[in-house]
Amino acid sequence: MNSEATNAGTLSGTHFVHVGDVRLELLIKGEGKPVLLLHGMDGVEALTPLIDLLAATHKIYAPSHPGFGGSDLPRSFSTVDDIAYFYLDLLDQLDLRDVLIAGFSFGGWVAAEMLVKNSGRLALAVLGAPFGIETAHRTDRRVLDIFMCDGGTVERKSQVTPVPSHDLATLPEEVLERKVRNAEATMLYGWSPYMCNPKLRHRLHRVTTPTLVLWGEEDAIAPLDFGRDYAALIPQAVFEAIPNCGHRIYVDSPEAAARSIDSFAQRAVAAAA
Amino acid sequence: MKVWQFSEQAYHPAFEVPGPMRITLPQHHCDPVEAGRLINRYLDEYVLADELGYNIMINEHHAAATCMSTSCMTTLAILARQTKRARLLALGIPIGNRANPVRVAEEIAMADVISNGRLEVGLVKGAAYEVFMSNRQPVRFMDRYWEAHDLILEALSNTGDNFSWDGEFFNYRAVGLWPRPIQQPMPPIWMTASSAGSAAQQAKLGYVCATFLSGAVARSVFASYRKTYQETHGRPASDDRLGYLGLVSVANDRETAFQRAEQMKAYFTTAARLDPQFRNPAGFASVKDNVRILKAGPNAVRPRLRDGSPLPSNPTIDQYIDAGLMFVGTPDEVFEQISRFHAEVGGFGNLLMMGQAGTLGHAETVENLTLFSREVMPRLAELSVDTPDIRYEAFA
Repeated sequence: MNSEATNAGTLSGTHFVHVGDVRLELLIKGEGKPVLLLHGMDGVEALTPLIDLLAATHKIYAPSHPGFGGSDLPRSFSTVDDIAYFYLDLLDQLDLRDVLIAGFSFGGWVAAEMLVKNSGRLALAVLGAPFGIETAHRTDRRVLDIFMCDGGTVERKSQVTPVPSHDLATLPEEVLERKVRNAEATMLYGWSPYMCNPKLRHRLHRVTTPTLVLWGEEDAIAPLDFGRDYAALIPQAVFEAIPNCGHRIYVDSPEAAARSIDSFAQRAVAAAA
Repeated sequence: MKVWQFSEQAYHPAFEVPGPMRITLPQHHCDPVEAGRLINRYLDEYVLADELGYNIMINEHHAAATCMSTSCMTTLAILARQTKRARLLALGIPIGNRANPVRVAEEIAMADVISNGRLEVGLVKGAAYEVFMSNRQPVRFMDRYWEAHDLILEALSNTGDNFSWDGEFFNYRAVGLWPRPIQQPMPPIWMTASSAGSAAQQAKLGYVCATFLSGAVARSVFASYRKTYQETHGRPASDDRLGYLGLVSVANDRETAFQRAEQMKAYFTTAARLDPQFRNPAGFASVKDNVRILKAGPNAVRPRLRDGSPLPSNPTIDQYIDAGLMFVGTPDEVFEQISRFHAEVGGFGNLLMMGQAGTLGHAETVENLTLFSREVMPRLAELSVDTPDIRYEAFA
């Protein structure tokens, strides 16, 4: 692993690692049991408050998914499966064991795809408002199609916290490039079928890792009842609704999320003892 | 100079409906009987254009009141039989959006044989918002486009055994065209460009390069094409490799021409009615271009007036003329406007002429096409000398 000078737009603690041919941006912070923290459509930069909270008691590994932030987008990557296998390789390469995997929104989908493939290095899982199962059936849409909405509407519907207004043109080019890459990668992995892998539903029975599903009660992207249906597909999953919280749990309720994760982890340790 | 009549074949009664004209406009606003009447009217105008000595250009859009031709090849299949002389140009077929490129090749071949080899084929990237109807992946869209291009050309030009195709985007066990096209190895291929980079790529391939309503930008597009064509092929590009699309309103008096131009202007005002999220889906443009677009703001891509300022949001007819998007007036004035523009952009051999646009009615369109064909078209022959190859040989 090699540290590199931090560019504008990247967070402190950012490293670059090579996994196979792919140069991966990987934020590492804190000391303790390892947490693989998987970001949503808005990139690792949006996770900062939650990273800081969890890093008090854990060692956080927060990569930018291939194509997001400063991570390469290999030409062969086009599905969340590709990311899932890639992160299983990353866990092997870093030789991480008893990992708590936590993914939010798009990152929750990535985590779910890892859990059904190989949970050998995973001890606990937290899925925060994950995508991954069918988001619509024929003309009935359950998850908001963000691609059909203007950017302002998507921002407002993503969180209950007021959205700060800013003029994009005034942002530094490096920051804009990250935003553009995040949007492009979200499109690549999530355009169609929209934010799902129709096979995933039929594979979730394979999850043996104790799993906590968190959902914002005010989620206006993927509503609460969609979340309950999702959690019901995962054996023994614990479902917790967070009041006054939207789709971006890490923006609206990072403290509540961190408390839930800690308490879930403690209960799991107690259960194992 | 070849002149090509073109109409977007709008369902213009819907222009009265407030809001966007594409993607989300509910179809209950379409009276299908009225739609059929209008499409037949536009086809009549194309048949007239054939009789008047025009060539014919057809396009397509989807889920749009501004254009009822939802398939170039469906429209051209009708005209292949109903016209006699005109070259028939599909500009174009959005092959990155098409599910089935072999079907595209089949339709090209079928229209080519029905028209006895009069088909010309534009293979285009298409407008960004079309992916919302085709549902094709915007990221790596051009990789898909080029594979479709390679497959279509292979199918059209194949003189050996039928073949199989296993690419990144398309898989076929058996490709064979029955019928295959009359024009061999294939009908003339066109593409569209609005940047010097795209034009250079098309010059390498020797395709006809057309630029639409781009005003002064046409100069850099054509210059890039000519430069790369010379470098690649070792001879100058003839003018017939280049095309420009603009609106034309001609009448015996200036006032009538301007009145009609006002009706045609509805083309511009309705084409722009599109919700912002559909204009530039992520991944359709490169990361570099998208960063540049965000930095530059919304005025960066507006056409320019002669003084370099951006065309205002509701331009006058005079401003459209100044920007090179419309040619309006008496036959003399229209000829002068076209020849001045032609000289400014370095010459082109194909005028893609919107002789009908917006709400312009049938009688006015007939008069427009008839007068232009009699009074302007013959004089355009003076503008383009299509023999630079011969001049080059003479010097060599």
